[in-house]
Amino acid sequence: MQMPLDVQYIIELLPILLKYLSVTMEMAILGFCFAIILAVILAIVRVFKLPVLHNFAGLFISFFRGTPLLVQLFLLYYGLPQVMPIFAGVDAFSAAIIGLSLHFSAYMAESIRAAIMGVNKSQMEACLSIGMTRLQAMRRIILPQATRVATPSLMNYFIDMIKSTSLAFTLGVAEIMAKAQMEASSSFKYFESFLAVALIYWAVIEIFSRLQHYLEIRMNRAY
Amino acid sequence: MIKVQNLSKKFADNIVLNGIDFEVAHGEIVVIIGPSGTGKSTLLRCLNYLETPSSGVIEIADAKVDSATATAAQITNLRKKSSFVFQNYSLFANKTALQNVAESLITVWKEPKLVALKQAEKTLQQVGLGEKIHQYPSQLSGGQQQRVGIARAMAAKGEVILFDEPTSSLDPEWVDEVLAVMKQLAVQKQTMIIVTHEMQFAREVANRVIFMEGGNIVEQGTPKQIFEKPQHQRTKEFVGRTVKQNLSALDSAML
Repeated sequence: MQMPLDVQYIIELLPILLKYLSVTMEMAILGFCFAIILAVILAIVRVFKLPVLHNFAGLFISFFRGTPLLVQLFLLYYGLPQVMPIFAGVDAFSAAIIGLSLHFSAYMAESIRAAIMGVNKSQMEACLSIGMTRLQAMRRIILPQATRVATPSLMNYFIDMIKSTSLAFTLGVAEIMAKAQMEASSSFKYFESFLAVALIYWAVIEIFSRLQHYLEIRMNRAY
Repeated sequence: MIKVQNLSKKFADNIVLNGIDFEVAHGEIVVIIGPSGTGKSTLLRCLNYLETPSSGVIEIADAKVDSATATAAQITNLRKKSSFVFQNYSLFANKTALQNVAESLITVWKEPKLVALKQAEKTLQQVGLGEKIHQYPSQLSGGQQQRVGIARAMAAKGEVILFDEPTSSLDPEWVDEVLAVMKQLAVQKQTMIIVTHEMQFAREVANRVIFMEGGNIVEQGTPKQIFEKPQHQRTKEFVGRTVKQNLSALDSAML
């Protein structure tokens, strides 16, 4: 009778997997940065109801919220190069980052938009009254106030994004989940391997949750 | 210096301003009085284009905007010629008193930050808040917030400051300090258009009083003419009523 759980194997596996954590975090951080930039642009287009762009943003958000991330990644990496050969040169790592940022920007745009709409209308009027343009008002007054409101939900999306990077292994990116899968199929210790990778995700997310909590306290103290 | 021609504003079928014409000279202090809901605030907000007029031409100094042909650039330019003091202060919540006052100098007038902050500090000292420059609006009393609001309007380099019921949402104890700042501006011949229910203030400070009702200017004249010898029946009733109210307030204060 074999022992049900090979703890020793897990302990040995952890440092091996941790080497690949940097790939995971790189995808999450880069993806999040691109997603934020895109999300702010989308949100502003939606708030100002800019002609044409507004409709395009609506369609974009609807599509990326309405289809699974895995399908989007497959479309982007396996599908797109067939119809547009320029995309054939995009490697799996970049494709994963692009897919993640497109997907999450759609969600984040909606929470940024809600935060902007939540800023008191009189703040915009006060900006306009002293001769600021609407864009200046956004940059100097409205967005900084909306940031405070949006931060908790944006942090949640970041945490969600870290976990979603695990789907990149289906594109062949050698990140932490892919390594766990590889180790599992060579040792046949599936439970231990996937438990090890789960523990690592859990620990990383826990660190960021603490950070989120700390950040919220700090931001609420500001004014 | 300010010229308004045939200014109208409709909300759906509701006519709020009905072809208003008036002019204000440089250094003049004009107080607009009248019952609630007669378009006084809307008129003021149209002057700053916070409300888009349905029709009419607004001219402040060398900026002229016809609502029929207004462009975004013209509107921004017009707004630079005036500044606004809001009933509910509307200070920038994420900025300190100093940053609130300096904001227009930095963002609109592109002044170097240090110059702008120095100027803002001077302006705050003028309204008696030299000690509070690093406080956020949430840390200030209503009266102090409104004084920052006035300082922000003063710093904005406009030709005219528009006051929309600046004391109406203040606790009674803070009203005087705000009126005192406005009187000080009057002494300096700052052009002002003020919508208010403070009749005593209007009498003391205004060069001209405009009585508005139903989207029209019913009567205008010196405070003496309006408060002591009103010509129009509606003006008589309104002024009579507010004087009576002031007297009864005085009575209860003496009890």
